[in-house]
Amino acid sequence: MRILVPFKRVPDPASGASGSQFIVNPFDEIAIEEALRIRERGEASEIVGVTIGGPAAEEQIRSALAMGIDRAIRVDDSRPLDPFAVSRILQALVTREKPGLVLMGKQAVDDDANQTGQMLAGLLDWPQATFASKIELIAGGREIRCVRETDRGLETLELGLPAVITADLRLNEPRYVSLPGLMKARKKPIELLTLAALGVQPSPRTTVVSTFAAPRRTGGVKLQSVEELVDRLRNVEKLF
Amino acid sequence: MDFSWTDEQRELFDAVQRFAAEQLTSNVIENDREGRFDHDGWKKCGEFGIQGLPTPPEFGGLGADPLTTVGALERLGYACKDNGLIFSINAHLWTVVMPLITAGTPEQKKRFLPGLSNGTIIGANAMSEPNHGSDAFHLTTSARRDGSKYVLNGSKIWVTNGPVADVMAVYATVDKSKGPRGVTGFLVEKNTPGMVIARGIEKMGLRTSPMAEVYFQDCEIPVENRLGEEGGGSFLFSRSMTWERGCILANAVGSMRRLLEICIRYANTRKQSGQSIGKFQQVAGKIVDMKLRLESARHMLYHGAWVRTQGKAGFLEAAMAKLHISDCWVKSCEDAIQIHGGAGYTVEYEIERELRDSIGSRLYSGTSEIQRNLIASLLGL
Repeated sequence: MRILVPFKRVPDPASGASGSQFIVNPFDEIAIEEALRIRERGEASEIVGVTIGGPAAEEQIRSALAMGIDRAIRVDDSRPLDPFAVSRILQALVTREKPGLVLMGKQAVDDDANQTGQMLAGLLDWPQATFASKIELIAGGREIRCVRETDRGLETLELGLPAVITADLRLNEPRYVSLPGLMKARKKPIELLTLAALGVQPSPRTTVVSTFAAPRRTGGVKLQSVEELVDRLRNVEKLF
Repeated sequence: MDFSWTDEQRELFDAVQRFAAEQLTSNVIENDREGRFDHDGWKKCGEFGIQGLPTPPEFGGLGADPLTTVGALERLGYACKDNGLIFSINAHLWTVVMPLITAGTPEQKKRFLPGLSNGTIIGANAMSEPNHGSDAFHLTTSARRDGSKYVLNGSKIWVTNGPVADVMAVYATVDKSKGPRGVTGFLVEKNTPGMVIARGIEKMGLRTSPMAEVYFQDCEIPVENRLGEEGGGSFLFSRSMTWERGCILANAVGSMRRLLEICIRYANTRKQSGQSIGKFQQVAGKIVDMKLRLESARHMLYHGAWVRTQGKAGFLEAAMAKLHISDCWVKSCEDAIQIHGGAGYTVEYEIERELRDSIGSRLYSGTSEIQRNLIASLLGL
């Protein structure tokens, strides 16, 4: 079985508001790790990583290759894309690569949209399981059992393959890239694809009007009584 | 002359530095005080690939050449303040991993190299004896052949990693009358009956690197655990010492770079009499000396590694590098303390530990006096 792992280049949240450092989206990294574990169990034969972006994304591609994916594709499009546009590109890639499983992060930590996996499954008309915290192949690798984290607790689903699964935080802890992994990554192929070659021309349906840092939170105020609180909510904050 | 690194080497060195900064975060002040070995740090280094740097890829290593290896170790020394952990890794690499790579049988390599290279097993080296330190080859630990095994008797001292080792390279003589030609290497595994790891030795510095005395009392070693030929131990040990001398202070160069940066920062921010102390010539002069020591040490380190990368033994270069770098390291630690004044004498500033750690470098892998003897004899004296 082939696993397709889409991943996104995002600003490193640890590098602060400057956003000068970029990393593989942490949830996608978890998806990569899970794909590696499935392959190490002998349940997958190849892991193909894909990202959409300009040449700068090759840094994140090398990271994914160093973790252990077999090969990578960069779809050359450095426009800011929305989840639907990304899903359409991924749909074309699925048609081309014919994976048995698409494994990706539940959302990217830059826009936190949490839509791409769901939209892709919809476009493909494949079963989907989002927010996965545990997955195992069953029925001789024809189905997958997935525990997902929902607001109401843990839900276990069994899906026929092919399917789309999105990874949540507790699915695993991604490995630290090793030196041999890093060196091997330099020899692995990175394929460059244009949208024309894929036969899709998605246009983003949303545009980013502006971005700004969240306002810094100021300290709270200690109130003496419930009456004072109600008065404040009504007359100062004007909540009701 | 071309002093440039390849893109590949640069990427590797940056990765080592990042790894050390992000992953080796144990409390060195506390571990130093308690004399505690960082098992977790060892494991992480193994998984990352430090212990596998020189190991051929078929045994799970990187197969890096000597130049790349010392470059990586310099960055490790720069970003990791636990000199004891790095010292343990060095001892493991140059006195166990390297002799196995060069002299191990295919079976020994298959059995030990993957674990030694990925951090799951720890190696130690037992050569020095209570009465034979610098005079290493006239050792008294004996190995008597008895059918398909050897029987070891004797005692060893200064065994770095002894208390935590899974496998030990032990040198013993099969015939004392043969002198150095009787010395033979053996791989002795943990819990072999007759081997006693006697006591931990408490040290001035490198306190996070455990050390022990080891005794052998009718300790039976199967013939397949002999390392190299019978009587080949002296050559094997000399060769591993050349590797060790040439590489063991790569991290010292990293430490000197770190100290230099700390001192420049301090000299630029600490004000006395209305100006930064770096403006005082006596402070600036010390920092210049530290820079000169760093660069000259680095050149000798890399030149020696380059000679070995060319496939030459590099005895002279290794001895000179060892002698010079150890001296530079100690002196730069002293300067760093002096620049920091009273603060440099405190544990909190983590410079006094650096000085204590550095002093051992004039003693291990052959004292500075032995290095001078070696260099003198190689100069025809």
